[in-house]
Amino acid sequence: MSQARNASPAPPGAGADERWEREVRAPFVAQAPERRDPFTTQALKWPIKALYTPADLEACGFDYATDLGYPGEYPFTRGTQPNGHRSSLWTMSQVTGFGKGEDWARRARYMLAQGLQGLILEHDLPTTNGYDSDHPLVEGEVGRAGLAIDSLEDLVRAFDLPFEKLRYLMSVCNAPQPVNLAMIIAALEARGVDPRGFVVHIVNGILIEYTCVGRYIFPPAHGLRIATDCLEYIIRHHPNWAPISIISAQLQPAKANPVQELAFSMAIALAYLDATLARGLDIDTVAPYFHFVINVDMDFFEGICKLRAYRKVWARLMRERYGATRPQALRIRMMTSPTTVALTLQQPLNNIGRLAIMATACALGGAGEAMTTPLHDEAHALPAEEAIRVGAALQHIVAHETGVADTIDPLAGSYYVESLTKGIEEAAMAEIGRIEAMGGALAAIQSGYFQQALGREQYERNKDIEEGRRKWVGVNHLVVPGEKRQIEIFRADNRVEEEQVARLKELRARRDPAAVARGLARVREAAAGTDNLVPACLDAVRALATHGEICDAMRAVFGVHTPDSQLTGV
Amino acid sequence: MSGARPLRVLLAKLGMDTHTVGITVVAHALREAGMEVIFTGLKQTPEAVASAAIQEDVDVVGVSSLSAGHTRSLPRLARLLREAGAADKLLVAGGVIPEEDVPLLEEAGYARIFTMGTDTRQIVAYLTAWGAARSGALQP
Amino acid sequence: MDLAAAVLAGQVAAGARLIRWLDDGDPRGRAALREIYPATGRAHIVGITGPPGAGKSTLVDILIAQERARGRRVAVLAVDPSSPFTGGAILGDRLRMSRHAVDPGVFIRSLGTRGGRGGLSRATYDATAVMDAMGYERIFVETVGVGQEEMDVTALAHSTVIVAVPGLGDEVQAMKAGLLEAGEILVLNKADRGGHAQTLRHLELLVHLRTGTQAADAWHTPLLSAVASRGEGAAAIVAALDAHREHLHRCGEFSLQSGRRSEQQFLAIAGARLRERLLELAPELRAQVRTQQLDPYTAAERLVAALPGPDP
Repeated sequence: MSQARNASPAPPGAGADERWEREVRAPFVAQAPERRDPFTTQALKWPIKALYTPADLEACGFDYATDLGYPGEYPFTRGTQPNGHRSSLWTMSQVTGFGKGEDWARRARYMLAQGLQGLILEHDLPTTNGYDSDHPLVEGEVGRAGLAIDSLEDLVRAFDLPFEKLRYLMSVCNAPQPVNLAMIIAALEARGVDPRGFVVHIVNGILIEYTCVGRYIFPPAHGLRIATDCLEYIIRHHPNWAPISIISAQLQPAKANPVQELAFSMAIALAYLDATLARGLDIDTVAPYFHFVINVDMDFFEGICKLRAYRKVWARLMRERYGATRPQALRIRMMTSPTTVALTLQQPLNNIGRLAIMATACALGGAGEAMTTPLHDEAHALPAEEAIRVGAALQHIVAHETGVADTIDPLAGSYYVESLTKGIEEAAMAEIGRIEAMGGALAAIQSGYFQQALGREQYERNKDIEEGRRKWVGVNHLVVPGEKRQIEIFRADNRVEEEQVARLKELRARRDPAAVARGLARVREAAAGTDNLVPACLDAVRALATHGEICDAMRAVFGVHTPDSQLTGV
Repeated sequence: MSGARPLRVLLAKLGMDTHTVGITVVAHALREAGMEVIFTGLKQTPEAVASAAIQEDVDVVGVSSLSAGHTRSLPRLARLLREAGAADKLLVAGGVIPEEDVPLLEEAGYARIFTMGTDTRQIVAYLTAWGAARSGALQP
Repeated sequence: MDLAAAVLAGQVAAGARLIRWLDDGDPRGRAALREIYPATGRAHIVGITGPPGAGKSTLVDILIAQERARGRRVAVLAVDPSSPFTGGAILGDRLRMSRHAVDPGVFIRSLGTRGGRGGLSRATYDATAVMDAMGYERIFVETVGVGQEEMDVTALAHSTVIVAVPGLGDEVQAMKAGLLEAGEILVLNKADRGGHAQTLRHLELLVHLRTGTQAADAWHTPLLSAVASRGEGAAAIVAALDAHREHLHRCGEFSLQSGRRSEQQFLAIAGARLRERLLELAPELRAQVRTQQLDPYTAAERLVAALPGPDP
């Protein structure tokens, strides 16, 4: 008895691993060949060993104190919150918007009634690209991919909401961000809503647009200046709001692997940070405002380890590079989400299973402040109401029925998880160093470095599927022959476009042209100088200048961005 | 690399949609197959695409559409090409195009619609076969 | 109207088709070229070259705008590398000039190098001739890099613009490639970037050194700055191109260069043909050289001696 208690066996070392491999596993594999050769992770394509043991932790120099620490303490690998999700769960949210203001409001009210507490306001392509609904280039697009906002009045109509039920409202409208921000501020005023009562979250993420999404207007250096204006304005005037979100999730449809996602998004964050610090703000004030939206893909462990690495890398950068000391500056803020890229057009019900797995991975990796579930038939259409209900239920199932959120960072100490987490962290830090050496994210965008790297990944990953190296159920595995999937493309009512055009006409007839002209002149002046653009946009917006008119005023000063072909990755 | 003339393919993106992943993958696949791919860039109008198709004297015009203006802009492009005397060029489209819109586009002059997720090898095979049949037909 | 006539009348579809035939080696192309060739030699051919990332296409875009503002018709040949393995290519330069896509006075054509050397396509000379015959006053030929190949852009063009960018390490590149000898106009693009002042100083030094060795009435290479993405610097570049063209006309070099270009292509084509023929004519000499029985110099002398000489 006492012998058993005193002689706790030492963990097996590399020698023991080799013995097992040689005497037990290898002979077995000789009779039963492995089903993949080699086994690699899905996106990074790093080799996956048959077995991970304490020797692997030793090999990568793993140390609990420096690599993990405790929840709520540097380096926050196990979580930024002292009590994980045991005190409060993540906020549950979904993407909403389409159509005219009234349609969005109706959909938003439905979602709030279903138990969601956050809303994400997507804008249609004309608005996102800085055009009014009557611009010749935008036909067929008005109100289709999101909300059509031509003037303040459109947003006031959309804001017919029970704001007391809302915890936060995120707005996605990167290129014309100061216009969009001004509209939001003025619309809340018009509705008599206290801006301190909830959080307005503007994405303000133009650098990722240049990198891979493509919804930009002005040249990159001006794009960064505009984003910084919005950052600074909110920090100074609406300190309870969220002025930026680095949606590294957008790098995933562009096929960034986890190391690229982490490195590129951090380098982009550093670019915004440096620009904001140059406005006279300090790191301990600014860093807490930064916020990331991070997707997980179907590779369960890549996703979990990536989330853990994000927390550690942010903490390290803030402390080592900037000397931040406030815990809030060192604790990354993030929102997580299963990626739509993993969902298939074929056999859409399978996607519910995929979403459940990915949502579980988010919870295990640490879901952050909020989780967004895309919907199982969102592969190609905007949400139908049944799918909304299922998506919302999914999050509640993970939260309440699985137990994964009932202890903090339960997978810590796993030999595989810790090896992979450290591997991702170190590779990302090296890549960040390379990007900084070339001049930072802005230089990387201007030289096409990000775009070319992603173009290569896109081609390679597609080949993996076409050549069967990656099995994807419904696409190249267990295919249902002759499956005809109706694409539920959301058809914008042409009426939306007609009505918006009519409203624009009527607005222009009714408003005070002198006030509009003054507002636009102020915008041009601010753009040409160094004044913050947001106050000028507020004046213009209140004078009922349209979204497109204000963007044109900025185009006149900044010019428009047409990238080099070498730089698109194509 | 034989002496066969490479197929010239114009890849275009109409309207506001700025997704480039699909078109990037197709462009690379076509290049790997020995074709010359001319890319028009983003946010093009049907007029600009038709003009480029003539100037580049391409064999194939491939349009990518991931947002939904396709029921208007794609037929307009087909009409402009016909009016410019370029009806002999192969016109194809790809992206998020629902089944029920395919007849309309085929009516308008689109030989083939490659819905999203089509294997690029299928696209390459289709274009190669079309090119071979055409040069066979043109042999004196 | 037959194709050659349509080309001479300036019809874009016809010109595009003829360029295609010539690029593909279609014999119909050769026949039409014969007919239009006498109408060539008039256009001012401008080479635009420099390292990748220098912003050449964006620069060409703003130069087109300047030329159009002066009422001139402009043609552009944008040459990009073909894959040496598959023969395929992605030709994306025209996307940076896309705002001119519907201007009837602008003709933009993309070519893959298709095994051509010196950064040019084999068909670039032919395509230039077609655009020349169509009546374009200025033809921009955009390529990557400047080689020392006999058929490179400096042999093709009347005026070569070298585009440099700050901080690409081009100080060393410029020295190595003998860039300055090759170009008549030097443009430092992306002049709003870091390292600009340093690169400008370096280029100024190179220009100064060269000027010191030149005759008084020789062309002095101007060094211009541009920020093509903002449209800045185009007017000065076009003015320099006009000045260089004037200079070439004044000293008779313009038509000499047009002539040299044609001759260069003649020699290259004839050289290739003759080479093939020579190899057919002298199988024994070939065998002897291959087995080291005969050294290459002696074999060549014997071969040439056996050919009929020039008329007395």
